[in-house]
Amino acid sequence: MENIKLNTLPVPTFRWLGVNFADKAVQHIDAPSAEIDFSDGETVRIDVRDSTHINADVPDNSTGTLILYCDADSEIRLSGSINVGAYSDVKIVQIFNGAASTVGGLRIKAADGASVRLVQLFIGGGQNISETDVTLSGYKSKLVTDIGYLLSDNDKLDINLIARHAGKKTQSEINVKGVMNDESEKTFKGTIDFLCGSSGAKGAEKEDVMLLGDKVQNKTVPLILCAEEDVEGEHGASVGRIDDELMFYMLSRGLDEQTAIDLLARSKISSVISKIDDEQTVKRLDSELL
Amino acid sequence: MAEKIKVDDIDRSMYDFRYEDNVEDHLTTGISPEMIEEISKEKNDPDWMRELRLKCLDIYNKTRMVNWGPSIKELSVDEIVTYIRQKNRMKENWDEVPENIKETFERLGIPQAERESLAGVGAQYDSELVYHNVRKEVAESGVVYTDLESAMHDERYKDMIKSHFMKLVPPTDHKFAALHGAVWSGGSFVYVPKGVKLDIPLQSYFRLNAKGAGQFEHTLIILEEDSYLHFIEGCSAPKYYKAGLHAGCVELYVAKGAKLRYSTIENWSKNMYNLNTKRALVEENGSVEWVSGSFGSHVSYLYPMSILNGRGASAEFTGITFAGEGQELDTGTKIIHNAPDTSSYVNTKSISKSGGASTFRSAIVVKENAVGSRSSVNCESLMLDSISRSDTVPVMDIRTKHADVGHEARIGRISSDAVFYLMSRGLSEEEAKAMIVRGFADNVSKELPLEYAVEMNNLIGLEMNGSAG
Repeated sequence: MENIKLNTLPVPTFRWLGVNFADKAVQHIDAPSAEIDFSDGETVRIDVRDSTHINADVPDNSTGTLILYCDADSEIRLSGSINVGAYSDVKIVQIFNGAASTVGGLRIKAADGASVRLVQLFIGGGQNISETDVTLSGYKSKLVTDIGYLLSDNDKLDINLIARHAGKKTQSEINVKGVMNDESEKTFKGTIDFLCGSSGAKGAEKEDVMLLGDKVQNKTVPLILCAEEDVEGEHGASVGRIDDELMFYMLSRGLDEQTAIDLLARSKISSVISKIDDEQTVKRLDSELL
Repeated sequence: MAEKIKVDDIDRSMYDFRYEDNVEDHLTTGISPEMIEEISKEKNDPDWMRELRLKCLDIYNKTRMVNWGPSIKELSVDEIVTYIRQKNRMKENWDEVPENIKETFERLGIPQAERESLAGVGAQYDSELVYHNVRKEVAESGVVYTDLESAMHDERYKDMIKSHFMKLVPPTDHKFAALHGAVWSGGSFVYVPKGVKLDIPLQSYFRLNAKGAGQFEHTLIILEEDSYLHFIEGCSAPKYYKAGLHAGCVELYVAKGAKLRYSTIENWSKNMYNLNTKRALVEENGSVEWVSGSFGSHVSYLYPMSILNGRGASAEFTGITFAGEGQELDTGTKIIHNAPDTSSYVNTKSISKSGGASTFRSAIVVKENAVGSRSSVNCESLMLDSISRSDTVPVMDIRTKHADVGHEARIGRISSDAVFYLMSRGLSEEEAKAMIVRGFADNVSKELPLEYAVEMNNLIGLEMNGSAG
């Protein structure tokens, strides 16, 4: 069976940079499906321990939260297809906190006035590959994404997030914060794609990476693709060491250097955790991160 | 509802004149070992160069075509005239240059620029340099500015050329680097001795006149310690309906403490494929500054690369790309931080209109040993209609925690509020739009020599017809 390339960059670039695909390919599997019902507005929490495919058709004018907590001991696939109905407000939380590798693939489509809030958290776990493809097809549909990662040892993480603006006056906001220790490797590919016809659309993307390990490898690939005149797009990235002035301030308050670094690293991840907005999940994360 | 702003293409009429070429001067189209041998014999290559050409041909045949970037499917290298022999050898006296060639460069303003503001000039017409001259006082300071082919046979420089030629851009780099190595012809050799600082620039101008031809000039510049040079490169060709190819190569060696500024105004006609390779190696505390304006060609792949190889080395890239109808201009830069305390700064602007596509593509690599390095990238794109495209594809690859790398990009259109404000201050709509686009391109024009900046601003101003649609 043919291997499937993962996390394909929407517009390929110089081959020698090694960012056009994830450095791991997989074969197709038929994972069991799970249908998610958003109709009652409750929070749906799923512990994902085996490969699973999520299906959801979110009705119009509904709200709901889906929390997918992956802490499997062996490699799993987590894929999903979610259609968000008109004027619905959906939050999708994905937490990858297992000892094993994961391959994630999520397709989301948003109708008129739909709002999608996506929170993704990656904490260690070998080699994680995550692709999320969001199509804002409806008028004034909106995506807000917060991604956090905390990597150490030889962790590898490859994220491919695509926000396609198809509808008019659509909005996307992508915020990424990460901490890299030891010999961890990470590639973040974030694409804002303004398709022809998406007039009035706005997209913004920002990645903030704190490098703490001597042998880390960080790749940041923020794309803006534009086939529409009347749009506003921007992206920014900040990669590197802890700001000298900030560290000086922390030391002047009586902290030793390691405590200050730990505190700053924790604050980066905490700012993403705070977006989960589900007490049960946050408590679970706090207990596991301590 | 906001009004649409319409801006015309860059006027190319001043570049679109041409003279009939003498078909007897053509070698055959395409590329074969026999043809390489013939070019080599024609140029009286030393053995090492002939062997390098054949090796490059072998690499070319084995290397696959690029599979990213704009399509080059319509480019058939087998139909490109890779070498055109000039009957007349290079001249150092302008009056001796053949009349039609002389008139070509006169119309492009090259001799006038030489008289007024340049330390030396080289002019290449199709495959060969036809004129080279350097001011007496510049030559007396030890600066060498000559054609590469003569220098290759000069006892003083031949070893230097052998040890530097295609070492920075090896033929294995990509398919068109290999093609260049096989059929290169013309180009300049510049050597600036230790401590010599040239206050006025040197310039090379490349003109491709023949239909369906390729130009493969090689520029090799070596700056010794603590020297300074500003080198200007200009390119143009008349428009034909048959594809032309420019696959030149620029290799720049910047020694300790030396500073090189390399400015390019590229205005190839819209039948040209511009697949040029430029690279600089910068040693301790040296610096390279690229100023790049891309206005012409049908398809461009152009990413000047800076390898910061010594402590404290720095690179700066300032670029503007204007893609109009039928153009796919894929431009940007590559910077490799390969030593401690290196720094880079990238500032680019792009404008897309009338179905043109511009892509900003970059690679910033900070290696493990580049502790204390800093990099800042800023790119802005302006979309002037909805039938055009503008993409930004930057990559940052950071492998040390002791680095600071920042990146910002922005895409948008001409602000109708800004047009309205300027009109309320008494400007016509046309003047307002022209002023905004000129301001957008300001980062490049202020880095250009005055006469080039004026020309660029005039082009932008003339081509804004201001009709709202």
